[in-house]
Amino acid sequence: MSNDTNLIYKDNLKERRKKNISKTILMIVLVFIALLQLFPLVWAFSYSIKTSGDLFGPELLSFPKNPQWVNYKTAFVDGKILKYLSNTLSIIIPSVIFGTILPFSLAYATTRMEWKLKPLVWTVVIAGLTVPIHTTLLPNFIWFNKIGLLDSHLGLIICYIAFSMSFNSIIFSGLLSGIPKSMEESAFLEGAPYRVILPSIIAPMAVTGFSTVAIQTFLNHWNEFIMANTYLSTESKRTLPFSLILFDGQYSSNYAVQFACMVLVALPPLILYFAFSSKIMTGVTAGAVKG
Amino acid sequence: MQSQFKDKKVIATLVLPGIIIMLIAIAAPIIISLGLSFVKWTGFGKMKPIGFDNYLRIAKDPIFWKSISNVFILIFVTVFFQNTIAFILAMYLSNIGKKLSNIFRTIYFIPATLSLVVVTKLWVNIFNPSYGLLNKILAQIGLESLQHAWLGNTSTALGSVIWIIIWQGFGWALLFYYSGIVTVPDELREAAKVDGANKFTLYTRIIIPYIMPVIQAIIIIDVTSSLKQMEMIYLSTAGGPGDTTQFLALYLYQRAFKYSEYGYGNAISVIFVILAFTLTILIRKTFAKRLESL
Amino acid sequence: MKKLLLFLCIMLSLTSAFAQGSSEKNADETIVLKMGDNVPDRKNGLGLVIETINTEFEQTYPNVTITTESYNDQPWQEKVRIYATANQLPDVFRYWSFSTLLTPLVEAGMIEELDYEVYSQYEFLPGALEGNMIDGKLYGIPTSSDLWVIYYNKSLFEKAGVEIPTSWDDIMESADAFNDMGIIPMVTDGKDGWPLCELFDNMAQRINGDFTYVAKAQEREMKYTDESFVKTADYIQELVKAGVFQENLTTSDYGDARNAFGQERAAMYMMGSWEMGLANDTNFSENFKENLDVMPFPVVEGGKGKATDTLGWYGGNIVISSNSKIKDVANNYVEKIASDFGQKCWDLQAAFPPVKVQPLETDTHVAKQLLSIAANATTMSGTPGLDRLDNVFKEDHQELMRQLCSLIIDSEEFTTKLDASAQRAYDER
Repeated sequence: MSNDTNLIYKDNLKERRKKNISKTILMIVLVFIALLQLFPLVWAFSYSIKTSGDLFGPELLSFPKNPQWVNYKTAFVDGKILKYLSNTLSIIIPSVIFGTILPFSLAYATTRMEWKLKPLVWTVVIAGLTVPIHTTLLPNFIWFNKIGLLDSHLGLIICYIAFSMSFNSIIFSGLLSGIPKSMEESAFLEGAPYRVILPSIIAPMAVTGFSTVAIQTFLNHWNEFIMANTYLSTESKRTLPFSLILFDGQYSSNYAVQFACMVLVALPPLILYFAFSSKIMTGVTAGAVKG
Repeated sequence: MQSQFKDKKVIATLVLPGIIIMLIAIAAPIIISLGLSFVKWTGFGKMKPIGFDNYLRIAKDPIFWKSISNVFILIFVTVFFQNTIAFILAMYLSNIGKKLSNIFRTIYFIPATLSLVVVTKLWVNIFNPSYGLLNKILAQIGLESLQHAWLGNTSTALGSVIWIIIWQGFGWALLFYYSGIVTVPDELREAAKVDGANKFTLYTRIIIPYIMPVIQAIIIIDVTSSLKQMEMIYLSTAGGPGDTTQFLALYLYQRAFKYSEYGYGNAISVIFVILAFTLTILIRKTFAKRLESL
Repeated sequence: MKKLLLFLCIMLSLTSAFAQGSSEKNADETIVLKMGDNVPDRKNGLGLVIETINTEFEQTYPNVTITTESYNDQPWQEKVRIYATANQLPDVFRYWSFSTLLTPLVEAGMIEELDYEVYSQYEFLPGALEGNMIDGKLYGIPTSSDLWVIYYNKSLFEKAGVEIPTSWDDIMESADAFNDMGIIPMVTDGKDGWPLCELFDNMAQRINGDFTYVAKAQEREMKYTDESFVKTADYIQELVKAGVFQENLTTSDYGDARNAFGQERAAMYMMGSWEMGLANDTNFSENFKENLDVMPFPVVEGGKGKATDTLGWYGGNIVISSNSKIKDVANNYVEKIASDFGQKCWDLQAAFPPVKVQPLETDTHVAKQLLSIAANATTMSGTPGLDRLDNVFKEDHQELMRQLCSLIIDSEEFTTKLDASAQRAYDER
């Protein structure tokens, strides 16, 4: 072996070693961050099966010998998880459906069609993005009361759709503006009306947008609590996150049950997430990325 | 141009449902709010018109300015730190092979799927000085001296609150960047390599410009969500200790619903909307030079 | 396109039908009595008493169903304000008689006047009903008589080798002994602020010997910048600095404080007599309950106030909304509360009622102690200081207390700002 090749070999070795080291460091960092995201959840779970008195022990993480599964039973029954879950779903399903269809139509009309008021409408849409929910709470309360939307799921659905209009329209508009006009033009030539063109030609081209928008709308409204808290008063209409807060008051002296309730409330989106994680991973941002 | 593109009936059908809903739930209350910002009103009983007094009062209200400055701190931290870290991680994740990166991305996104109420409760418990996780960890590694009432101490409260926000929001930013980076066509990378670009220039010259729309989207989301930040603080520190963790959206809520100064609360929200709108326009203008779309 | 529109309309109406489908439809003859209060825990103490009364009421009037809505204090006040704005107050609800909370509702004509003749025949303690009268009209009946006291855990004192204190100076001196053992000397609810305001009023009296100073400061006959108030603020900050309270005092809420005490992590718990239910709270250990005791608010060495001068008031009032469509049912309900609530409270040892009670053999130690504190009271403060002016003053007072206790402001800034807020409230009256 000549000196030259030896040198090259050594260089490669050095480089490879350097690469290995940086790879290990990288791995450590990645795992550390993963732990940061996961550990609190595991910790919360461990508390949920203890007795409240155990919480004050010095150990970091321990699983009790006699897990108090009864905490879950208490949380499930007294927290009325099933009832609130079905309420949440009956609000969230229409919100997600209309929260995607309406912005899609709006974005189509504003990006691809010609009309006078277009700039004004688009400004309203952009402005909608900046309005804080909290500004609208009291005026809406007063005026929903007048038009009979108060303490009804419909009132919440309308708010949820309204507050997803802006963001979702922007995402759709980004996607739609990239489609060549010839798509519609050729369809027009064949005499196809809009009600055929939109669902069968345009919508499929924006399919990534639909999944992005639907998932985002779902996650946002699943978490929503301040509007639900303000507008709903009848106990039987309440939604899931809201119930957690009430539950805290009810069980203010039983931390372990509170933790169990917390786990139960967190569970449904987590299950959905794991079931569809690959789709969510690509779908959640696809629309925004192209936009 | 085809006349179909100008069909008024179609346009009305497409636009009106969405716009009407927005008018009902967003525009109407904003207009009511604007009107009420010129009165002194407890929410019920008599209203007293007071002209611009509420607005003059805002100018002299130290808590208002504190809450504005906290909002800007939060914007700064999310836009610069959270985004940089998320971007760097996304960059690495796009290089370590699909399988591994899938696992990590799945984990990193978990907090984003959790309800805000759950996240807040969780961290309030972690930060609790008597049974919280954080102080227990510090005790285990012999750093008792660092033990703290994290949310109760004026010097750590703001940091702790921001940490919770980032813990939950981080997954979103990472995911956006990752999806952006993987859509960069391989030809572009190859071409850059042929031109002798090293990793750094590859990113600054090719990838970052390519994913500009993503960056814009994230920054707008960061700014508007920082401005709107309320529930988490409402449920954790309620703005305390003192006004250390007071944020604009929470402050207007408290003025209206706790202090019953409904007119004043509305004046703050009018300012809020103006501020948020201006910031959004500014960001869009800044980016507009770099991209035509959006 | 019309079809699309039609489709949307149908979908929307379907959704609304779907949404409304889950609300209860009342059969014609069923009357729903809507009720709201600030007692979310329905399995212990006060909540249990209310639930028992509700069940009994429903048995007496089988066509009446009571629906309840319960929140913690602060969210409940926010909710009531929203309801008031929309004229949607529940038929009967529990609220506070203080001028900051009930008076604005009365002035807006939202609270139904009650018949004093009817309610005065029940055995209310002297002054109990009068506290709810505005311009000679009765607007609510109280459900508790509240004394500001300190609960303590005897076994923790023994463990730390500390004598039961008779003065705040004793408490300050013993703080280290507790803290060294990892036990919080004293907890209270600082996040909500008002307990700190009670601390302030009570401490001021212990220093200047006169509960009326607070009233005078609010009537502008003297100032909050008076030397005794400055001293009070200083003294409270000294307590904080000595580590008497939990570290996160101003961000830990009612539940936090109560739990820390109930789980024997704290030796003392500063709260009102309504917490006498601690003595039989099923969430806490027997050991805790056996060692639970209560003492009057201690004195300050060199101060003019006595331990028998008591910060106390009547609270938790039940009122009827004047918007209610079933006022007769509501009135029957309130009468039931007036006649039964006090004794039920005492039977369950849930709270200190505003009616005359006979001590029972079965009374818990804490209940007996509280009775003796009440019986031995040399002076009574009446309505707490933070609740006498307007709502803004109340919130200012609470916020300033939180800042004082977080050591963000000093006593001088505290008293100046408090005085300014009192002046503003006085001017606006």
